[in-house]
Amino acid sequence: MKKLALLTLVLSLFILGKPEKNLAAENLQAKIDSLQEGAVLHLKDQTYPGNIVIDKSITIIGTKHTVIKGDGTGNVISITAPNVKLNQLTVTGGSMNRNSSEEYAAIKIHTNNNVVEHITIRNSFHGIYLSQAHHNKIRYNDITGLGNGEIAAQGNGLHIYYANDNLLEANKIEGTRDGMFFEYANNNRSVENKISHTRYGLHYMYSDENIFKGNVFTMNTGGAAIMNSNHLKLEDNQFIINYGNQSFGLLLLQANDNYIAGNTFFMNQRGLYIDQATRNTITGNRVIQNQIGIELWASSTDQIFTLNKISDNTFPAITLGGSGEGNTWSQHGKGNDWGTSFPLTDLDQNGIGDFPVTYHSSLHQLLEDQELTSLFLKSPAIAIYEKINNTLNSDEIMFTDKHPLAAEKTSHASLLFVALGLLVGLILLKGRHYYALHLEGMEGKHKR
Amino acid sequence: MHYIWKEWKENIRGKGLWLSLSIIVLLSISILYRSSILSFDQGFYVLLINLFDTIIYFIPILCLFIGAFSIFQEKEQKTLIMLLTKKDNYPSFLLKKSLGLYTVVLVPLLGWFFLYLLLLKFQFQLDMKSYLIFVLAIVSLSLVFLQMGAAIGSFSRSRMQIIGYTIFVWFYFFFLHDFLLLSFLPDVTHENVKLFSSFFFLNPLQAVRMFLETGMGVYSFGHMSRLLEMFMWTKPVFFLIGNLFIWLAISFGIAIIFNRKEGYE
Repeated sequence: MKKLALLTLVLSLFILGKPEKNLAAENLQAKIDSLQEGAVLHLKDQTYPGNIVIDKSITIIGTKHTVIKGDGTGNVISITAPNVKLNQLTVTGGSMNRNSSEEYAAIKIHTNNNVVEHITIRNSFHGIYLSQAHHNKIRYNDITGLGNGEIAAQGNGLHIYYANDNLLEANKIEGTRDGMFFEYANNNRSVENKISHTRYGLHYMYSDENIFKGNVFTMNTGGAAIMNSNHLKLEDNQFIINYGNQSFGLLLLQANDNYIAGNTFFMNQRGLYIDQATRNTITGNRVIQNQIGIELWASSTDQIFTLNKISDNTFPAITLGGSGEGNTWSQHGKGNDWGTSFPLTDLDQNGIGDFPVTYHSSLHQLLEDQELTSLFLKSPAIAIYEKINNTLNSDEIMFTDKHPLAAEKTSHASLLFVALGLLVGLILLKGRHYYALHLEGMEGKHKR
Repeated sequence: MHYIWKEWKENIRGKGLWLSLSIIVLLSISILYRSSILSFDQGFYVLLINLFDTIIYFIPILCLFIGAFSIFQEKEQKTLIMLLTKKDNYPSFLLKKSLGLYTVVLVPLLGWFFLYLLLLKFQFQLDMKSYLIFVLAIVSLSLVFLQMGAAIGSFSRSRMQIIGYTIFVWFYFFFLHDFLLLSFLPDVTHENVKLFSSFFFLNPLQAVRMFLETGMGVYSFGHMSRLLEMFMWTKPVFFLIGNLFIWLAISFGIAIIFNRKEGYE
C-alpha cells in the first residue's frame, strides 16, 4: 500500500512539474534531427524553446500561435543546410550579448536557397541575419526591435552580410538600429518592404548592383543611407517624414553610378543628401515639402537631375562647400519641374520654360558652419533673412536649370472650396446681421 | 462664473470669435480636403503637421485681437470702471476676465477639433495620443496669445494702439525673434548654447512646435551631436511649460502694472 502511495506521489509530482517545455525542446531538436531530407514538420500552437540548429533541407510550418523562444544565449534558429523553408512562426529571445565573438540573431542563415516567410520576430539583437548566404527568399516577415534607445544596444532588422542574389520582399520592420543593413552584398532585390522608426531604414555599405523597389520608409532618423556602393537601382520607393535635425530621405555618400528614379521624397529634413558621390542619375522623382529638397555637397560631381518634380520645399536645392563640378540640372533639353518656386513662362507651350531658372541663397554658409541652423528652417524669419542677404548681394548661385519644365497644371478645386466656404461664412454673418436687425425691429414694435 | 457667462454672451453676439473660428474651420477642412490623397497610416501625421503649420499663422493674431478687444470693450463701455469701483481690483478683474476669455475661446475651439477628429476617422488611421498632443499645442498657443492680447488691451488707450501693438507682437514672434537669433547663430558655441537655447524656446511658436513634433514622434532627437544634446538640455514639454509660465506671468504683470482704466476712440 505504502509503495503504491509513493508511486502515485512520484507520478503526481511528475505530472504537476510541467516538464513539457524541456520535453518539447528536446522533441523539436530531436524531431528535426530525426527527419529525413525534404520532410515537412508541422508545429502546434505552443511555445518551443529555441536555439535550434537546422542542418538538413526541411520545411517547418507553424500556426498562428507557434512560438520558438530562445534562452537569450545565442541564435534562436540557425540554418546550416540549404533549401530550408520556415513558415508562420514567432521567434523571440535571441542573445543581446555584444561582447561575444558572434552577433546573434533570431534567425541566422548560413546557406543558400532558403525561404523564410510569415515570421514574427521580437526580442532579438538582429532579426534575420544572412551570412554568406545566397539566393534566399525573405518575405512577409514582421520584425520589431527595442525601439528608441542606444543605437548599439540593438541590431538590424535584416542583416545581409557577404550575401548575394537574395530577395527581400514585403517585410515590415520597426524600431531596430537599421531596418536593412547590407555589407558586401551584391545583386539583391528589396521590394515593397515597410520600414519605420529605425536609425537608417536602409543602410548599404560596399554593396553593388542591388535593386530597391517600392519600399516605404517613414519616421526614421535617415530613410536610406547608401555608402560606398555603386550601380544600385532605387525605383518607386517612398521616403516620408524622416524629420529629425540631421535626417534625410536618401543619403548618397561615396556612392557612384546609381540610378534613382520615380521615388517620392516627402516631408523630410533633407529629401536627398549627396556627398562625395559621382555620376548618379536622379530622374522622375517627386521631391516635395521637404525642408531642403536636395542638399548637394561640392565634393559630389557629375550628377544628373532631370524630370524631377521639386516643389513646396523650404529650399529647393542647396549647394554646400562650393560649387561641384559637372552637376547638371537638365539632360537632353529637359530640366525639372520646380512648381511655384520660380516664376516661369512657357509662351511657345512646349512644356519647357522660356528662360533658365537660377536659384540664389545665402543660407548655405550658415548651414555649413552651424548645425543648429536646421532648427530655423521652418521659421518664417528664414525668408526675411534670405531677402535681406539677397538685397545685400551676399548670396550665391545654388544651381541653374537651363531647361526648367513648365509646372504641372494643378486643380483649383481647393481654392474654389475655400472661396465657397468664405462666401458661406459671409452669407451667414450677413444673415445673422439681418436677422438681428429683424429681431430689433420686432422688439421695437413690441415696445411701441 | 459671472465673468465667463458675461464673456460668452458678449462674444457670441460679436463677430470676432465666430470669424476667427470660421477661419480655423475653413482652414482645417481645406487641409483635410487636400490631404485626402495621403496614405491611410502615415497621412494622419502629415495632415496634423500641415494643419499646425497653417494654423500657426492665424491663431496668434486672432487670439491677440480677441484678448485685446475684449479688455478694451470693458473700457469703452465703462463697465471696467463700474466693476472696479464695486468690489474688484484690477488683478482680480484681469484674472477673472482671462479665465472667461480662455473658456470662451477654447470651448468652441476644442468642440471643433473634437468634430474634426470624427471627420479624420473616415480617412486615416488615428493616433489618439498624437491628436491630444496636437490639441494641447493649439491650446497652449491660444493661452499665451490670449493673455498677451489681454495685456495689450489693458495698456492701450485706443483701437489704433491695439492694432499697432498686436501687429508688432505678432511680427516679433513670427519674424523678428528668430531673425535676431539667426544673426547670433555663427557665435553659438558649446559654452553659450544653453543660453541660446533658452532664447530660442522663449518664442512660443518654436516651443509649441518642438513639443508637438517630438510628442508625435515625428521629429526624432535620437543620435544627437553633443552640441544638439546641450541645446536640448531638457525635454520639449518642460520648454513649453516654462514658456507658458514666463509669458503668462509677464503678460499678467505688464497688464497690471501698465493698465489704463480709460480708453478713447
